[in-house]
Amino acid sequence: MSYQLPAIDRLGFCNVFLSAIGGDGANMSAKLLFKIAVTELDLDGAYDAKYGSEKKGTATDVSLRLCYKGTAVRTSGPTTTPHILAIFRPGLIETLQLNRGLQANATVIVNTTQTPDEIRDRLKMHSGRIVCVDAETIAEETGSRLNMPMMALICRALRFPQEQVEAVIAKTWPYAKDANLGAFKAAYDGVNEKEFAPRADYPLLPPALVARGQIGYLNMLNGGAIDAMTHSTVNRNNQVAGYGFVPTFDPSACTGCAVCMTVCSDPGGIVWKDGKVIGLDYAFCKGCMRCVEVCPQTKKGKALNRPEIAQVA
Amino acid sequence: MVPQKSLIANGNDAVAQAIVDIGYDGEGYYPITPSSDAGERVSEALAAGKTDINFVIGTSELAVAGIITGMAVAGGRAVDVTSANGLLLKMEELPCISGLGLPLVMNIATRDVSGPLNIKNGHSDLAAVLGVGWLIFLAPTVQATYDLNLIALKAAEAVSLPAFVAYDGFHTSHGVRRINVFANQEDARAFVGKKPEMLNLLDVHHPHTFGPYMNDDLINTKVQLDAKMRKAYELLPGIFKEFEELTGRHYSFVESYGSENPDAVLVALNSAGEAAKVAVDDMIADGKKVRVVIPTVLRPYPNDEFVDAVKGAKTIVVAERVSQYGAGNYLANELGASLQRIGSKSTILSRVYGIGGLNYLPEDGVHMLTTALAYPNVSEEEKKIHAYHGAWPGDPSYKPLPTIQPLTAEETTLNAGEERVNLRKLAEMPTRIEKHSACPGCGIFTNLNLFLRGIDGHVVLLFNTGCGMVVTTGYPLTSFKVPYFHNLFHNGSSTATGVVEMYHRFKKQGKIKDDITFIVVSGDGGDDIGMDQVIGSALRNDPFIMLEYDNKGYMNTGGQLCYTGFKGQRNSNAPIGPALRGKKTHHKDVIEILRGTECSYLFQAAESNARDMIAKARKAQATVRAGGFAFGKVFSVCPLNWGADEAKGNEIVEKVVDACMHPLYEIEHGVTRLSYDPEERGKKIPVSDAFRVMGRAFGHLLKPDNADLLQEVQDEVDRRWERLKAMSAAEIL
Ligand SMILES: Cc1ncc(C[n+]2csc(CCOP(=O)(O)OP(=O)(O)O)c2C)c(N)n1
Ligand code: SF4
Ligand code: SF4
Ligand code: SF4
Repeated sequence: MSYQLPAIDRLGFCNVFLSAIGGDGANMSAKLLFKIAVTELDLDGAYDAKYGSEKKGTATDVSLRLCYKGTAVRTSGPTTTPHILAIFRPGLIETLQLNRGLQANATVIVNTTQTPDEIRDRLKMHSGRIVCVDAETIAEETGSRLNMPMMALICRALRFPQEQVEAVIAKTWPYAKDANLGAFKAAYDGVNEKEFAPRADYPLLPPALVARGQIGYLNMLNGGAIDAMTHSTVNRNNQVAGYGFVPTFDPSACTGCAVCMTVCSDPGGIVWKDGKVIGLDYAFCKGCMRCVEVCPQTKKGKALNRPEIAQVA
Repeated sequence: MVPQKSLIANGNDAVAQAIVDIGYDGEGYYPITPSSDAGERVSEALAAGKTDINFVIGTSELAVAGIITGMAVAGGRAVDVTSANGLLLKMEELPCISGLGLPLVMNIATRDVSGPLNIKNGHSDLAAVLGVGWLIFLAPTVQATYDLNLIALKAAEAVSLPAFVAYDGFHTSHGVRRINVFANQEDARAFVGKKPEMLNLLDVHHPHTFGPYMNDDLINTKVQLDAKMRKAYELLPGIFKEFEELTGRHYSFVESYGSENPDAVLVALNSAGEAAKVAVDDMIADGKKVRVVIPTVLRPYPNDEFVDAVKGAKTIVVAERVSQYGAGNYLANELGASLQRIGSKSTILSRVYGIGGLNYLPEDGVHMLTTALAYPNVSEEEKKIHAYHGAWPGDPSYKPLPTIQPLTAEETTLNAGEERVNLRKLAEMPTRIEKHSACPGCGIFTNLNLFLRGIDGHVVLLFNTGCGMVVTTGYPLTSFKVPYFHNLFHNGSSTATGVVEMYHRFKKQGKIKDDITFIVVSGDGGDDIGMDQVIGSALRNDPFIMLEYDNKGYMNTGGQLCYTGFKGQRNSNAPIGPALRGKKTHHKDVIEILRGTECSYLFQAAESNARDMIAKARKAQATVRAGGFAFGKVFSVCPLNWGADEAKGNEIVEKVVDACMHPLYEIEHGVTRLSYDPEERGKKIPVSDAFRVMGRAFGHLLKPDNADLLQEVQDEVDRRWERLKAMSAAEIL
């Protein structure tokens, strides 16, 4: 057999974990990777997406476990011990503690403008290769989507034969062929990568299993009720859904028409005082830009505007 | 052997593939996670012209159960797919189908049924139907899900009984694997064979009476039913053998994996059994004598095969993804009785695991088998005969601090009672719902927050299942600052009736002083499946408000068809293809359905006309304060499932209103009044102008190929608009 998986665990699997946000297309890319593995390389394995009713903008993940044909595929659910970790949104590194369960000598692919050294410290990665790529810019410049440059580099980490991969991409989306293949090429050309030797203060961590909260069967309220006063979502940060793209606000242009309040789905974040908006609480804002669309044009311009660049990390 | 081909599929795809390969006559469908996609894949095959199945989307699972029963009694081969609440809603029909001897196949992508709601894997749905007289097959893998669909139908038809095929929700239904399927449909069909001749309702030349009224004789039908089970038990080995000869894939009543003479045996169902094989391999490598036993058939219960598989072991752990609460467990008890009959001295430990979708990992299998090997020299907790594996106690010293203060009646009574709706003043009113996780640009909470600004004082909210509830109350946090209750998908209105009855009782008794307004929030889907109950509340004129956010689909479950959808609309279960053009019927008009109840107040409102919505909220509140029922429908965008621009929601709603696709009007005690007339203002636009901005789900209606469909929608919208104008003009109408 000519193709060799880059790494396998004791059960014979090479584990790939994609961490992203609903709408990033991580699911789609993993699906295609699995198809390439099975139909082009005659591999076997499993592909399990995060379970549930996730909406656009909430954290999601996809697991791909590849093995040679003949290996028994038994477990289901996500991989907790990835050899290859693809991070679509670096903001998730800390929130989800993505270093847990990561194998020694892992390959980590990150959509970022930061350097491998910076990411290594954020991730506290034990050892392996960090591949940084500005996938967002590549997607924009090539007219493709974020998942394409990310997928290109996952294929590279898996050592999938480039020609075969590109042929499948071209066949799957004939209309977006040039954009997607352009994104592939730009991704290969645009990597900033570095190999890291083990570091004692960044130990290998056990995998993340069930998140056991402070509330359990001893102290859960009758019937699983939630005490709204102590367990409100008010302290949660919702901005992740907007990828940091939230409207800019110019108080001097606000007429206090309150139309923004009527169209926003979470208007608690539009801070109102003395008959006017005084600012946006970005912890609420999902960046839908509904308010920008309705904010009236005045002599001083619009009070709410689309940002040129992401406002918050 | 006959040729097989490889297919990349998850459990739901595998079911759909089997349905298409078998060539069923009919399928009844109602979406529910995690089985929904199985029906969607069939509808895609239908749209692509790859099957000619009669695919009927019901208004509820109970309706679908009736539909497939009708198909079967008319001699059709019928199939169904469901989960959890859906299965329990069909419950009443299930013993009838078996009692009437109608062979059909129902797939169950297992999921827990519970309050609080959980959508993940659990076997509480499966356990609820153990005794309804159906054959039950368990598919531990995606491959088995496909295979057992064929085997189940053949067995079902051979004995004239219905059959379930149960596969694990998400673990198997959504796990994508490489499987083998029949390369030629003829081979699959030859295996299943021709449907045996049966008594048929359509036989007018020899009429039969099906489903008579039966008294003392009933017990005889049950003896027959049991005999059919025994016959299935006798036939199945032959069917398994025939299947193996054709495909090389082996099945038996129970699968045993591991040591020849095990000291400890683990009995585990479906995907957990597969994961436990890894544990068994590891422990055998470690010198232990252990085995996992995975049943493939639960009904007929394969007593002898089960006993053979476990006997001799010192300790047997029966792991079940369900509990009988306060009693031993389903399979543990059954197996205990079997072993008692042969005088076995084995200890049976019952372990409840994986409730609510908790993963069962090889480590869990090792833990259970290690406990079994060491028993009784184990911890006090593990000594328990019936125990929960994977639950956690929590930290009793955890004392969270309040993060919000309850809303007062005063701060929520701004601008109320004033003649003019003052948005500026209302902007200061605190929101009752905050920081949900709906998709960016979703219309649900724009509508709710706007509507709630028109409601003064204390509010209690009741939600039907749908996106609105799922994105607000992910345990342990809630987005509601006011009391909130979610019961089921369809019965928020009935639940509210019970609540307001008690509210008024306690108020009369002086036990409650607060003035509270009760509002039920439902998606348009909740008013498909719960239409009868909404009508009930309206007929009784129960004093609460019901607000329907109409986003033209079952969005929470992935954009399936709702009866409110426009004709031709693209849905995940009504796709566009050479043989199907989306939704087949015109949009349901819930307000006109409710008109006939003569309840106090009905209205339609939209975010594009904010002041009007607030005025209507106030009128609705005044209505319930005066003791009547108020029902309103608001139009709500779903950028995700429509593929619409998330920034353009308000503009979309404005266009829909101006196209008279969602007219703003109200019916007060039978008197109809238009609240906004785009025609009069010279703003009426064709429906195509609205569809143009509504995204992928509607965009295809603008294509020349679909000009006829577009015209039909336009004509229907115009007809209803003209009728509405006439009603608005003449009070008596
Ligand atoms: C008896 C039953 N059948 C099916 C379901 C699955 N289910 C949950 S929400 C939903 C769709 C809800 O649609 P809708 O009311 O329009 O609200 P939306 O999701 O659009 O917010 C379905 C089918 C269920 N929970 N219970
Ligand atoms: S972009 Fe505007 S409308 Fe959208 S969530 Fe943020 S504040 Fe609200
Ligand atoms: S829509 Fe614009 S002008 Fe009007 S209140 Fe909001 S920010 Fe101010
Ligand atoms: S799927 Fe649609 S209705 Fe549901 S939260 Fe997302 S946008 Fe809203």
